[in-house]
Amino acid sequence: MTQAVTPVLLHPGFGAGVPVEARARAAELRDEWDAADQNVDAQSFWKETGKRFLANKVGVAAAGVVLLLVVGAVFAPLITSADPLVGQPTDRLQNIGSPGHVLGTDEQGRDVWARVLYGGRLSLLAGFVPTVGAALIGTIIGVTSGMLRGVVGTILMRFMDVLYAFPAILLAIAVGSSLGPGLTNTIIAVTIVFIPPVARVAESATRRVVVQEFIEAAHLSGASGFRVARSQILPNVLNDIIVYSSGLVGVAMIIAASLSFLSLGSPPPVPEWGYMLNSLRGSLYTTPLVTLVPGFFIFLTSVAFNMASDALREAMDSRL
Amino acid sequence: MLRLAARRVGLAVPILVGVSIIVFLLMTILPGNAEAGLVPEDATPAQRAAIRDSLGLNDPLPVRYVAWLVEALRGDLGYSLQRRREVADLLVQAWGNTFVLAAVSAVLGITLGLLLGYVAGTRRGTLVDRVVSIVSLAGLSVPSFFVAIILLSIFAGGLKMFPSGGATFDEGPIAAIRSLVLPVASGSLITMAITARVTRAGIVDVLSADFVETLRAKGLSELEVRTHVLRNAISPVLTTSGVQIGALLGGSVLVETIFRWPGMGQLLYTAISSRDLVVVQGATLVIALTFVIINLMVDILQAAVDPRVRGAVA
Amino acid sequence: MPEAITSVQAEQPGENGNSLPKRPLLELIDISKEFDVRDNGRRATLSAVNEVSLKVRTGRTLGIVGESGCGKSTLARVIVGLHAASSGEMLFENRQIETTGRRPRKIVEQMQMVFQDPSSALNPRATVGESIGFPLRVQGASKKEIDARVKQVITDVGLPASYVGNYPHQLSGGQRQRVNIARALALQPKLVVLDEAVSALDKSIQAQVLNLLADLQRDYQLTYVFISHDLNVVEYISDEVAVMYLGQVVEEGSAKALYENPRHPYTQLLLSSIPTLDPAQSNRDEPIGAGDSEIPSPISPPSGCRFRTRCPFVMDICSEVLPPRVEAAPEHIVACHLYSEGAERNDGAVAAAAS
Repeated sequence: MTQAVTPVLLHPGFGAGVPVEARARAAELRDEWDAADQNVDAQSFWKETGKRFLANKVGVAAAGVVLLLVVGAVFAPLITSADPLVGQPTDRLQNIGSPGHVLGTDEQGRDVWARVLYGGRLSLLAGFVPTVGAALIGTIIGVTSGMLRGVVGTILMRFMDVLYAFPAILLAIAVGSSLGPGLTNTIIAVTIVFIPPVARVAESATRRVVVQEFIEAAHLSGASGFRVARSQILPNVLNDIIVYSSGLVGVAMIIAASLSFLSLGSPPPVPEWGYMLNSLRGSLYTTPLVTLVPGFFIFLTSVAFNMASDALREAMDSRL
Repeated sequence: MLRLAARRVGLAVPILVGVSIIVFLLMTILPGNAEAGLVPEDATPAQRAAIRDSLGLNDPLPVRYVAWLVEALRGDLGYSLQRRREVADLLVQAWGNTFVLAAVSAVLGITLGLLLGYVAGTRRGTLVDRVVSIVSLAGLSVPSFFVAIILLSIFAGGLKMFPSGGATFDEGPIAAIRSLVLPVASGSLITMAITARVTRAGIVDVLSADFVETLRAKGLSELEVRTHVLRNAISPVLTTSGVQIGALLGGSVLVETIFRWPGMGQLLYTAISSRDLVVVQGATLVIALTFVIINLMVDILQAAVDPRVRGAVA
Repeated sequence: MPEAITSVQAEQPGENGNSLPKRPLLELIDISKEFDVRDNGRRATLSAVNEVSLKVRTGRTLGIVGESGCGKSTLARVIVGLHAASSGEMLFENRQIETTGRRPRKIVEQMQMVFQDPSSALNPRATVGESIGFPLRVQGASKKEIDARVKQVITDVGLPASYVGNYPHQLSGGQRQRVNIARALALQPKLVVLDEAVSALDKSIQAQVLNLLADLQRDYQLTYVFISHDLNVVEYISDEVAVMYLGQVVEEGSAKALYENPRHPYTQLLLSSIPTLDPAQSNRDEPIGAGDSEIPSPISPPSGCRFRTRCPFVMDICSEVLPPRVEAAPEHIVACHLYSEGAERNDGAVAAAAS
């Protein structure tokens, strides 16, 4: 505020219908804007993010690896003819590259390559499902408490704090051992572990958005709180949640594999990478490389997810 | 400072209560869980009911929680039929071993991580930076039990440099230290990787801040500038270090199992395998409480180091 | 654009001909707003708005001016119902409306607001068309109706209709503020509260938007409450002006009377701090004493007259008694002990200081 508004700029006739020059000037201005409009492609945030992600080679490669692993797991029967459940006891503990068994065999003579492919089904499922589940539930809890604050919000977030006070793997183990072994229970356990951090991210993003003026404007249109949350807040907190959750898939896989390593996962003989690693442990000194195979696949999937997640974060961050 | 510490302790109390409620509920709420390990597998339903009754398992949940909590506060966490030992006794012994393992891993991992992260952050874009970035991303993505198995196959299997199994300090300091090497390595590798990642990000962030230019313009020596940078970048490292120690405590279940280190983790593993839920409950409670207390200490330490955090609380 | 004008005008003349323009559209009676806050860890009450009574006349503009933190933005939000008032009453079109709870949608829609910050006032994830159309969608209008109405208001605020598909970050500050105005107009409200609506804009853009607001007021038969810290802008657009200090209205009157003959020492202080390019008005540059001192906290405002800690004419009575509202001249109300009964002699002193 250093200068007074000069009356010249505030010509009362502007737009009042009288001065032709003013009208002409306004028309000119509109033409300029129209011209500028031709250059600016009205792109949505998600389109731009997609474009930037595709421009990131590391991210695309990582996403490609994830896709390959998924395809391998889904079409396992088409890729290998070996049975993942039944082995030839005479072929026990073959090393990598032995004839007929690219990745060797395990202690029961089952083909490790086949078990890795089929095992990807459960391992990937145990990475994806809890992440998606936790993202959904955590978002609902976080957005609700971010909007309401007050007693409901405080109680919800304090409950999240308590769950967050456990080391992640320990909470998963505790829930898992309470529920007993099984894929569903593993998924429930890992989901519970991830709800609090997602809720925190969602809550802090919501708090940031909720104080902005466009939320007040939305309330002034008479919209209900739920409608404001869905149409105004959610689109603005979603990218934070997606970036955060995408980074959780790798961790979810590791935790699920840990549970399965501790025999809290799906019961044998159905292959799962964590359980495979544990049962191959006995043959660590005879066929060490074969033992490392399932661990390597857990690692590969997790790295790929983390790299893809990093690329996604970058693509979303560099917004205008 | 003292007031702030008192405040933080006050805030931790409800969390501790919440943690104890969850641990209690997890092990009791599902049918069959409460008496698991206390009732013989082959008991008839009538015997089962009688035992339930005598243990007070038919009382309402809040009553049972309070009774359990009172006993727990007195140091009585129950009796393990499988082990024929008091749970508290088992835990005391195991806790010490886990503490040694986790503390050494944490100190080693955080120190090395800080160093690597600092080097990478100040030499942004160089080969060193890239290597550190890749290694730390790998560290973030690798399960600790996989690292443990790799180390085992190389150093215990191939090279036979270190023992694969745990010897505690009862068997002499040298044996103990030798058998600590591999578990510490597998724990601290991941801690190191994550710390390096966070430190690097913090350093890069701070280096691009305006105040660094000001410091240089003021004529401070490069060493003095670096000290300022490190001090400002350390806060996020402290924040994650709490979580890291949690990961080490939780991960101990796997690492200790693989290296047969007689700590909480191995105790928990054997208890899970035999569905000895009294021990699972006790061990979960003690590890979680340890984690809460460590986070509390990190919080207070952070407030001591970073005036911004202090301001936010006061 | 012409269609909208005629339809709006067609509704209005019956109940509101030019013959009776002075009937207030909105009347505030003793409106107060307090917030519970924590002050150094202790619970405290922040008195943001204190017993404010104002009348907003149909088709006119009431300017509310004051320094930042004086409660004018809070008052704006209480008026439109975004904040519940702590106490007080409100009359809208001579009917009492809810001030402390949720209002019926019919009332909410009649009062819209234009916000200060062009970057936070628009949803960054919504196109211009979606932002303007949102209130209509909430109302349950059909897609066709929404498209037509959005096109109408966006051209009315001087933007090309092709902008409906653009995102806020693709627009300039001035363009965004036009979108902001268009959204407020989408529901054809009677009252528009403009909270620092042009403060974030460049001077030249400010002028354009102010002129646009004047046009729209005429075409849409709008009543404005125009809130700003910028005295020049308020003077330009307002018919009546109220001056706020620490949550209270200290002086109100016609814009002309108030700017030419400010009565309250605070108004005089404000006007004296306007920078001006016109040397003939240089008297405004005269300092009037303790003007530089700190504004007291609204958590524990001074007793009696809240301005007394900064007032150059402070008297004993000021700390004891809240100054009553006095009609110092016709339609010119001042809340200051200098103008209470028996204070004639001081009037001369103030006038001398002010001129």
